[in-house]
Amino acid sequence: MATATITAEMDVFRFDPTSESKPRYQRYSLELPPHAPVLTALLKIREETDPTLTLRYSCRSAICGSCAMLINARSRLACQTPVGPEMERHGRIVIEPMGNQPVLRDLVVETEPFWRQYHRVEPYLKPDPLRPMPVGKETPMTPTEVKRFQETPRCIACGACYSACPAVTADPEFPGPMALAKLYRYVVDPRDGAHQDRLLRIQTSGLWLCLRCHLCTEACPKDVRPSERIRDLKELAIAAQGVTEPGSRHAVAFKDNIAEKGVLNEFKLARQSLGPSQLLGQLSQGVKIRRRKPELMKKPKPIDGHAEVVKLYELLDSDEEGTP
Amino acid sequence: MRIAYYPGCVAQESGRELDVSTRWVCEKVGIELVEFPSFSCCGSGFIDEANQRLNLALNARNLAIAEKAGLDLLTICSTCQGMLSLANHRWQEAETRAQLEPALRQIGVAYRGSVKVKHLLQVLTEDIGLAQLKTLVKRPLSGLKVGAFYGCHLLRPQAELGFDDPEDPHTFEDLLTALGATPVMYRGRVMCCGFPILFVKESTANRIAANQIDDARAHGADAMATPCPLCHISLDSYQNRAETEVGHSLKTPIFHLPQLVGLALGATPDQLGLPRHLVPTDGALAKIAAKAST
Repeated sequence: MATATITAEMDVFRFDPTSESKPRYQRYSLELPPHAPVLTALLKIREETDPTLTLRYSCRSAICGSCAMLINARSRLACQTPVGPEMERHGRIVIEPMGNQPVLRDLVVETEPFWRQYHRVEPYLKPDPLRPMPVGKETPMTPTEVKRFQETPRCIACGACYSACPAVTADPEFPGPMALAKLYRYVVDPRDGAHQDRLLRIQTSGLWLCLRCHLCTEACPKDVRPSERIRDLKELAIAAQGVTEPGSRHAVAFKDNIAEKGVLNEFKLARQSLGPSQLLGQLSQGVKIRRRKPELMKKPKPIDGHAEVVKLYELLDSDEEGTP
Repeated sequence: MRIAYYPGCVAQESGRELDVSTRWVCEKVGIELVEFPSFSCCGSGFIDEANQRLNLALNARNLAIAEKAGLDLLTICSTCQGMLSLANHRWQEAETRAQLEPALRQIGVAYRGSVKVKHLLQVLTEDIGLAQLKTLVKRPLSGLKVGAFYGCHLLRPQAELGFDDPEDPHTFEDLLTALGATPVMYRGRVMCCGFPILFVKESTANRIAANQIDDARAHGADAMATPCPLCHISLDSYQNRAETEVGHSLKTPIFHLPQLVGLALGATPDQLGLPRHLVPTDGALAKIAAKAST
C-alpha cells in the first residue's frame, strides 16, 4: 500500500545578490509523505522543477551539519525536520537561509564569520608544558571528569545556534554560542593546560555579551545546550579570576546586593556595578526614570527571615566553599 | 483561587505599576493573592552566573515557603518564572538535592518539590480561562494592534519551563484576542530585549531593544505588551536611549500584561499606573476609545 501523502506548500527564499536587487519567495507545491524531511522536498524541487535552486547539504542524516536553514523562522537542519508537522502548524513551509550571515545565493550563506569566531577560541588541546601528555599512550580521565563535557563534543558545527542568536545580530564582538560551547569543552578538559589563559581572554572578549535567551539551546539539533555551557563558563571565570570587566562585575555586584536585604536595592546596584564613566553615562537616564518612578531611589526593607538568606550565603558562597 | 504571590523585586520598586495592575486584575477575576514578606529575590539570572548553587538554594527556599502554606506560586515576571522553574526542575535531580539540602536544613527549610510555578499569563489562560475572561471584558481593546513580547525566561529552556512553544508561542496572542485586541505576529516577539547586558554594554542592549521594537512596528503594531518588568525597562524606560543608538524614532508604548487586561476589564489608566511609563500610552488609549465611540 502506498504511503498517504500531503501537499507541502513551500515558500522558498530565492536571491542572487550578483544580479538581483532584492530577494523573492517562490511557491512550490509538492506531494510528499508527512514524514519526508524538508531537505527531501528541496532536493525534489531541484531535481524535478528548478535546477537553479541553490542549497548546501551532504549526509542527509544530521551528522555533517551542512543543511541548517530557517524553517518557518526557526533555525533547524532540513534533513531532520519533517514536512508534516510544519504544514499542520503553519499551513505552509517558509524556507530561508540561516540568520546572521550574508546570503551568497538562495539558501547558501557565507559562513566565514562563524568559523572566524570558532578559530578565535583556539579549539584544540593546549597541553600543560609542566604536565606533558604521555606520548603514544592514552590519557585516562575519570568518569566525573568526562561527564563535565559530555554534551559539547556532540556539536556538529551546523551554525543553527549562531543563526538564532540575537547577540550575534547586535554585536560582532560576541563569539556566538557554538564557539563558546567549544571553549567550555577545553576549559574543563583536564588534559588542557591553558584554562586560566582561556578564561581570562574570553572574559574581556565577548563572553559577557551572552543574553542567556536560550534560543541557541532550542535551536541546537544535538542538545549541546550552549547557553547553559556559557553560564558555566561565566561561573568558572568568576571563581577563577573574580571580577575582571563589566559583565562579571555586574553578576557579582548583583549577588552581593541581594545578600544585604534579601531583595534588590536598585539604585545601589548601579553604584556597585558600574564603573565611574558608565555611572556618569547612566546618570541622566536615572534622573528621567526617577521622575516617573520615584521608588528607584528607595531603600528596600530587609525581608522577613533575612538571616536565613545570610546563612545560605555563608554556607554556599564563602571563599573556602568555591564553586563546583 | 488562592495562590502565593511572588511579585519579584522590580514590581515592588521602580516597576510598581506592574504590581498595582496585577492586584487590580486579580481582584476582578477572582484570584486571591497570598503574600509572603519572607520571599527573597530570584537572582534574576545574575546570581546563577556568579554561583549556581547559591541561586538554586535561594529559590528552593522561596518555593519551600509556598509549599509550607500548601500553595502554588504566581509570578508576574518572566525572569522570576525562569529562575524559580529552574530550581524546581533541578530539584528533581537527586544530585542537586544531596548537594543543597544540608545547607537548607541548617536554616530549617525543607523543600519536597511539590509547588507549581505559574506566570500570570498561564493562570489567566489556563486556570481562569479565556472564556471566563471574555465575559468580564467591559471595554474590548478593538482597533489596537499589539505586538506580544514574551521575555525569554517564560519560554526557555523548554525543558525547565514546559510552557507553550519556546520559539513559536501563541498563548499571549490568544489572550490579546480574547481582550478584543489584534495581535501582531513578528519574529522579535520571542527574542531578547537586551536587558541582561544593559549594565554590561549599554549600546548593544539598546540596539537589541530597538531591533525588536522596529520589528513589531514593521508588522503594524501600535503598541507592545510584555509579561516581564525587565523587558519593560529595556523597551520603555530605555526606549529614548535605544532611539539615540539607532538614530531613528521608535515611539512605541509598552504595556505590562495586566495593564492591558485591566483596560479591557474597565480599569482607568491611573488605576493601572500608566502615567508612570516613560513612553506615553495616550496614543494607544485613544485608539481604543475611538473604536469604542464608533
